[in-house]
Amino acid sequence: MTNWLNRGLGFAVPLLIALLVSAVVLLAIGENPLDTFSLMLTEAFGSPRRLASTLSAATPLLFTAIGTAICFRAGVFNVGADGAFLIGGLAAVVAGFSLPAELGWALAPICLAIGAIFGAAWLFIPGWLLAKLEVDEVVSTLMLNFIAAAITGYLVNGPFLSAQSGNNVTPLVHEAAELSRLMPPATLHSGFLIALAILAAYAFWTRRTSAGLEGAWVGLNRRFSRVVGVSVQRTIILAMVLSGVVAGLGGAAHGLGQLHRFTDGFSAGYGFTGMAVALLGRNTPLGMLIGSILFGALASAGTTIQLFSNIPLDLVNIIQGIVMIFAVIELGRITIRRRSKT
Amino acid sequence: MTTIALSAANIWKSYGSVQANRGISLSVAPGEIHAIVGENGAGKSTLMRVLQGIERPDSGHVTVMDREVAFSGPGDALAHGIGMVHQEFMLAPDLSLLENLVLGDEPVSFGRGAFARIDWQAAEAQGRELAQRIGIEVDWHRRAGAAPVHIQQFVEIIRLLRRGTKILILDEPTAVLAPQQVTELFDLLRRIREDGTAVLFISHKIREVTALADRVTVIRQGEVAFAAAVSETDGEEIASHIVDGHNPVTDNVKRGTPGSIVLNVTGLSAASVEKSHPLHDISLTVHAGEIVGLAGVAGNGQVELMEALFGLRAATGKVELKGTDLSGLDADRRRAAGIGFISADRRHEGLAIEASIEENTIAGAHRAAPISNGLWLSLRARKAVALERLKRLSVKYGTLRDPVGSLSGGNQQRVVFAREIAGPPQLLLVSQPTRGVDLNGIAAIHSILRDFRDAGGAVLLVSEELDELQVLSDRIVVLAQGRIVGELGADADRRDIGRLMVMEGAGV
Repeated sequence: MTNWLNRGLGFAVPLLIALLVSAVVLLAIGENPLDTFSLMLTEAFGSPRRLASTLSAATPLLFTAIGTAICFRAGVFNVGADGAFLIGGLAAVVAGFSLPAELGWALAPICLAIGAIFGAAWLFIPGWLLAKLEVDEVVSTLMLNFIAAAITGYLVNGPFLSAQSGNNVTPLVHEAAELSRLMPPATLHSGFLIALAILAAYAFWTRRTSAGLEGAWVGLNRRFSRVVGVSVQRTIILAMVLSGVVAGLGGAAHGLGQLHRFTDGFSAGYGFTGMAVALLGRNTPLGMLIGSILFGALASAGTTIQLFSNIPLDLVNIIQGIVMIFAVIELGRITIRRRSKT
Repeated sequence: MTTIALSAANIWKSYGSVQANRGISLSVAPGEIHAIVGENGAGKSTLMRVLQGIERPDSGHVTVMDREVAFSGPGDALAHGIGMVHQEFMLAPDLSLLENLVLGDEPVSFGRGAFARIDWQAAEAQGRELAQRIGIEVDWHRRAGAAPVHIQQFVEIIRLLRRGTKILILDEPTAVLAPQQVTELFDLLRRIREDGTAVLFISHKIREVTALADRVTVIRQGEVAFAAAVSETDGEEIASHIVDGHNPVTDNVKRGTPGSIVLNVTGLSAASVEKSHPLHDISLTVHAGEIVGLAGVAGNGQVELMEALFGLRAATGKVELKGTDLSGLDADRRRAAGIGFISADRRHEGLAIEASIEENTIAGAHRAAPISNGLWLSLRARKAVALERLKRLSVKYGTLRDPVGSLSGGNQQRVVFAREIAGPPQLLLVSQPTRGVDLNGIAAIHSILRDFRDAGGAVLLVSEELDELQVLSDRIVVLAQGRIVGELGADADRRDIGRLMVMEGAGV
């Protein structure tokens, strides 16, 4: 019982504080906070179409959140989901326009798999460095994010630049490689369903597999893990690789489902928002689902809200930022655990 | 003329129901080296904490330079000229030795406060002068963390002398030093003594006490058991007072009936953890149906030996279990081969304290049938295995999902046993099984161990409680400085065991 209460509070408190602070900001600029909040609610969830756009915005966050959570629960502070998202996204898109279109229905799954493999390979690097050479994973994954952005930025402006359309984009993927739209004309695509499937798989993996159990033990206590016969090194590498699979798959779904191509600025900080979602949801499947929808709602409401009110888009960003800051209070706990793990 | 540099008179101090100091008195004169010896848990540390002003005694007085004092905190003791060198060095590893020397009390040539200019030349001159006075050489510009341990220790001593320390307390200063370095330290301490500094020297090694000290006080169970001028006693007499002569009542204790050899160790050597001794050429056997007790002062290689046997620490030499060579295998494989491991550090190694009772109970068995089918786990089998294991050792708990940290110490330890003897293993490596466990729990854990032995299991038992070793073991092997220095029957006079523990193998 108390466990549930704790978890619920852990989720609600950052949100409530963020709303309070935003209310103060709104009052200061002469707006009625209640009106604004209800407008935001309507914009995010008020109609099937709006709901679809919220879920569409939540999709990449759900992927990156799960990818991050896999590492966090093993005590590996991986901040590299963004890089794997980019690499996986580009790999899938390139496959999506360069593989023969004749592959038909098989093309989309192949492209998704390629995205997952590239994401996995990408995060294998910091996983191996951490397990074998004790290279701090925060530094390595953060730096790999910059490298991923630079590599994809170069490729999209050079070798893979589209001949037809303007600048900084690749050609469109074959139609066969596209993920189907669930509620046209909304952009919500079947990548959202894949994300839900991954979430279910994550829930199963954490509770019902020995590797999932071992991940939690390594996160809680490495000396204990060794004594009960768990290889800490292997568990760390596995967490990183699985994290790369999920984040890479997220990038692939985003490319094939949302944009149908790769663009410069492909990830709008999804890796980092996903990290906040993982922290806010405390790595639990339900928590991360709610968290990603929350951030998705803020993103989709934010873009439309300024059309209908005097509220600047910045305010939405402020709310988002404040939620993240208070979600990060939880991060403080994780960091302490990281320090004491040796 | 000062006659007493530091004295404690009739110090009483209790923590809850534990009487750590029961009327301890001792004094040290200027220019005297006074050794304090005693078992772990005898009350030495408490006394030192009182002398340093970290703890207030329940009753009794502390006198410094012939004047009675009441310290309000550690800073107060320092101001009265009492300085302590701890086992863990307190130097900042990334600063130079010179920076460490003056840290907190820098010589200033200009300005004050945050705008002061530190006079490094003066600092170095002071350092050189002090080093010369006690007869050592220091490369002051070396990074502290990169300096040899004995140099770090000397700099700590110089640092205290520079701050006006007249009474120097050293807590087992030789534990980290090589023999050559010990000689250097002793020369240094003798020169400090000539300057009129009083030295309190805590040690477990009788040979060091007789070589260095002027007086010796033996503390046992919170009381002064023996005090004498070193010139009027000898090592044998000192050692005989460290452990009392009251053997535990073992009349009703059922001993084991040893069978064939289960564990056979030959020539095992391993590197040490910090401030402990490396293992050197350990050979021993444990038979089926036998508990072999490993006696020794803490930090003499017990941790290393147990870790090396379980595959948690790299080692050379041979470890055989029932004739199968396990050398070089990791913990996972040794567990599978039939070794159980009860860690001395229950909270940080024996258990994942925040994980559930269920997970802690089944850990290690989670990859095999019936819990796992190779792909996923059966929650029902997992629960059944946990319930069965916990029931067998009658562990008391709320629900299986509660964090194991919510249990009492005794029940936590039973969870560890429930997991480790479930196999059942052929050999159980047990360290400090009853540390932090109440009396009922102790009896229960003892009977678990005896039952395991009587069923034909082999046990290697490390304990700092001699009573426990004598009550449980069939044989006692004494470990000192990473070597086996003797073997006795379980009913041997405990003074003999104590003597072996502190005499560095003199009795072999």
